[in-house]
Amino acid sequence: MLLWLVFDLVLIGAIVWLAWAALAARDGFEMIVLFMVLGLFVALAWVRLQAPDVALAEAAVGSGITGALLLKTWRHRRGRAAGDAAADARPSRALGFGVMGLVTVLTGMLAAVLVLIPRPAPSLAETVFANLAVSGVDNPVTAVLLNFRAYDTLLEVVVLFAVVVVVWLLGDAEADRRAPRLGSIFFGFARLVLPVMVLIAGYLLWLGGFAPGGAFQAGAVLGAVGIVLLLGRLYTPTAADRLPARLVFGLGTVGFAGAGLATLALGNAFLGYPPEAAKTWILVIEAMLTVSIAATLAGLFFGAAPSGRPTRESDR
Amino acid sequence: MIWSDPSTMTPEIMTWDLPSLVVILPLLAAVAAFLLPSAAVGIGLGATALVGAASSALAARLLASGPEISHLGGWTVPLGIALRVDGFAALMLVTTAGIGMLVGLAASRSFAAKGATEAPAEERQRLFFWPLWLLLLAGLNALYLSSDVFNIYISLEILGLSAVGLAVLSGKAAALRAGLTYLFAGLLGSLLFLLGVDYLYAATGRVDLASLGAIDEMTPALSMALVLMLAGLAIKTALFPLHFWLPAAHSNATAPASALLSALVVKGSLYVALRLWVDVFAPTAGLGTLIGLLGAGAIVWGSIQAMRVDRLKLLVAYSTVAQIGLICLVFALTDEIGGETAWQGAVYLILAHAAAKSAMFLAVGRIAEHLGHDSLERLHREPLRPGMAQVAFALAAVSLIGLPPSAGFLGKWLLLEGAMRADAWLWVGVMVLGTMLSVAYLMRPISGFLRFDRVEGPVIMPSRLDAADLWPLGLAVVAIAMGLLAATPLSLLAVGSPFVVPEVVP
Amino acid sequence: MSTALLYSFGGILLIGVALHRLVLTTDLLRRVVALNVFAAGIASLLIAAAYRGPEAAADPVPHAFVLTGIVVLVSTTAAALALIRRLDDLERSVDHDT
Repeated sequence: MLLWLVFDLVLIGAIVWLAWAALAARDGFEMIVLFMVLGLFVALAWVRLQAPDVALAEAAVGSGITGALLLKTWRHRRGRAAGDAAADARPSRALGFGVMGLVTVLTGMLAAVLVLIPRPAPSLAETVFANLAVSGVDNPVTAVLLNFRAYDTLLEVVVLFAVVVVVWLLGDAEADRRAPRLGSIFFGFARLVLPVMVLIAGYLLWLGGFAPGGAFQAGAVLGAVGIVLLLGRLYTPTAADRLPARLVFGLGTVGFAGAGLATLALGNAFLGYPPEAAKTWILVIEAMLTVSIAATLAGLFFGAAPSGRPTRESDR
Repeated sequence: MIWSDPSTMTPEIMTWDLPSLVVILPLLAAVAAFLLPSAAVGIGLGATALVGAASSALAARLLASGPEISHLGGWTVPLGIALRVDGFAALMLVTTAGIGMLVGLAASRSFAAKGATEAPAEERQRLFFWPLWLLLLAGLNALYLSSDVFNIYISLEILGLSAVGLAVLSGKAAALRAGLTYLFAGLLGSLLFLLGVDYLYAATGRVDLASLGAIDEMTPALSMALVLMLAGLAIKTALFPLHFWLPAAHSNATAPASALLSALVVKGSLYVALRLWVDVFAPTAGLGTLIGLLGAGAIVWGSIQAMRVDRLKLLVAYSTVAQIGLICLVFALTDEIGGETAWQGAVYLILAHAAAKSAMFLAVGRIAEHLGHDSLERLHREPLRPGMAQVAFALAAVSLIGLPPSAGFLGKWLLLEGAMRADAWLWVGVMVLGTMLSVAYLMRPISGFLRFDRVEGPVIMPSRLDAADLWPLGLAVVAIAMGLLAATPLSLLAVGSPFVVPEVVP
Repeated sequence: MSTALLYSFGGILLIGVALHRLVLTTDLLRRVVALNVFAAGIASLLIAAAYRGPEAAADPVPHAFVLTGIVVLVSTTAAALALIRRLDDLERSVDHDT
């Protein structure tokens, strides 16, 4: 028990220190790397708190993909002191102390109120477990995400779609073509790792039915595959890829909403799957989501509607 | 807005799951408009009209048979999520689709394809407006119908992201800078809201509004949750002093986008705040007074800024700050005798402001097109004869000031009546002051319109009848007419009203 | 003190650190990271609330909330970063013109 307490205290201390260090780092690159390490430590803490599903997603998305996006932006702005504390206007001493005071009061109140909550607090856990048998899946988190609260997940996929629209509105594919290329060691690494990652993604999707894993984790890993492909110029999207890209981005929303309309047509409630076939419905929806989420995450990393003609291998 | 008669509806429509459809339809249309850019205008207008028809049918159904609940996935709360439609929600659905339709028609004109002469920036506006608007519509409708705090959080994110997309549609640096501040403010607001949801779930194990509303005792955790959620919503609604992002974001967007942002987007979060306040939590008098005071601050600050700024669009944006403050006075009054009247007034002000402000932004867009600028000082020296756009602006101003018989008058009158019945003379005074201030700042551009003949030289005549002026004029007429035709909206608002117990007059 | 409460305090400290830097920084990229740390703190609170001891299975509902939150957050972050890059391009071209 004492050993666990020591472990917990060290882990929490490391997390808070990493957060502070990342946000106080003078150099933008240092800030991003520390933030990514923070994500991994937070994921570790969540494994400790018996949340392996979420820990997987935090490591893959919260740390990995967010980190990749931050690094891309940092490189884009290099030379303009992006993220460097030196570029930060130094706040006056009084302002610094004032903000510190306010934040201390706020966190103090948050902590005090939390302690006052009587325990054990009521929760929905029992209701979820009681209905798990009829949900079509054995993993309770997947049951909540794709059955009990499937509408939340539908709207979440819509958020991803909305962001792709905004990014295409803003992005400039030409600006990225000028970016430097990665070296040959990278390609050897990529050829080795990519097939493994695709396998992991498929495994995670299949696993989600009864163990930690599922569409989001699989989509994130597959999205990372896409990012590696884009980074290494193993795949360079061109203007011809716009329509297929649009189709895949929309697939998650259309597939999920279409499933909802299909359930309505069957005479059920919106997204009320036929109980005997719930497993199949969920698996089909998850497969569509995985592909769409992966493509969207990679598309967000690419950061623009692709333009230009295909380039030959010899041009590289 | 069309009110369908339930007797003319086919039996099928009476049984359709309209609440789900008004969310799903614009979603599918948004994807379609993104997939097929060449057909985006048709898809956008068609889907908006369809959503409008579905919303009116839903409203008619409500008038006939009371509030509705759709249990999504067949799971009842608290396990599942329910879409709940009461009169307030239905009224917002119909208004949103109606205003969206008129703004959409205006947009289809101002973002028309120009063939070979079209600049890339213009092409982007034309292509991306429709998917963004349809996503916005889906987000708003999801928000109106949601009866679950976590689901509200996701709906707010859809709303916020599509709103940022609309704000930066022009691609100009000033719009992008304002859009980034808007995005940061919106994200901070969402995260504060989510932190509130954390505390709610940790303390009660529930996220659905029905279960939360059934809890009578305000524990510290519930108070903390309410304060956090309201703070997040206040940022998104731009309640003074958290309005810092609004003037730049609204004044730098293109006219149809500004119209949607000020008419509908800020109302989305205000709607949620009002619903949480009235339906779910037992209002705490101190907190209500605090929000009321912030509202009073917004009226004074927004009006003073509107009197000082030189750009017409900025004046209209600051007027939104002041008007939001006026509506937020209701938070100080719901707990009193006359609370229901004040609440009706606030809802009506939301609708009136939506119609009037969208008309105003579209009109200002037309005037700026004529003049090539929107500087107020120069406006006073422009020999431009007022046309339809100026008339639309003036009519919208009538509603914003609250002159009879406009919708703004009715809303303000109900709010005043609520305050007077509660003997809340402080708030009565604030409302009167706000009205005088709004006259002062709205007269600045109107006097500018009328002084066209003070300048020597030829007078510029705007083309007599331009179809593009019809849409702002139509919206302004709606802002007036909703005051005259208030019987149906008010009886719709009474369907499933949270003020169930009839008031006792002492 | 229970494990859940300990980790909750960790989450609250993350929120404090993030808010402090968010208010004081003027750098756009740092602001994005601060908001992400803020979100990690909120998520930690939810995960801690879901923990029901080493023997019992944790409450899956907050886990689902956090999973959704992570995806929503990466989306918003991507939008913010795309805006930052675009602004940077515009400012750069202005610098070149002058």
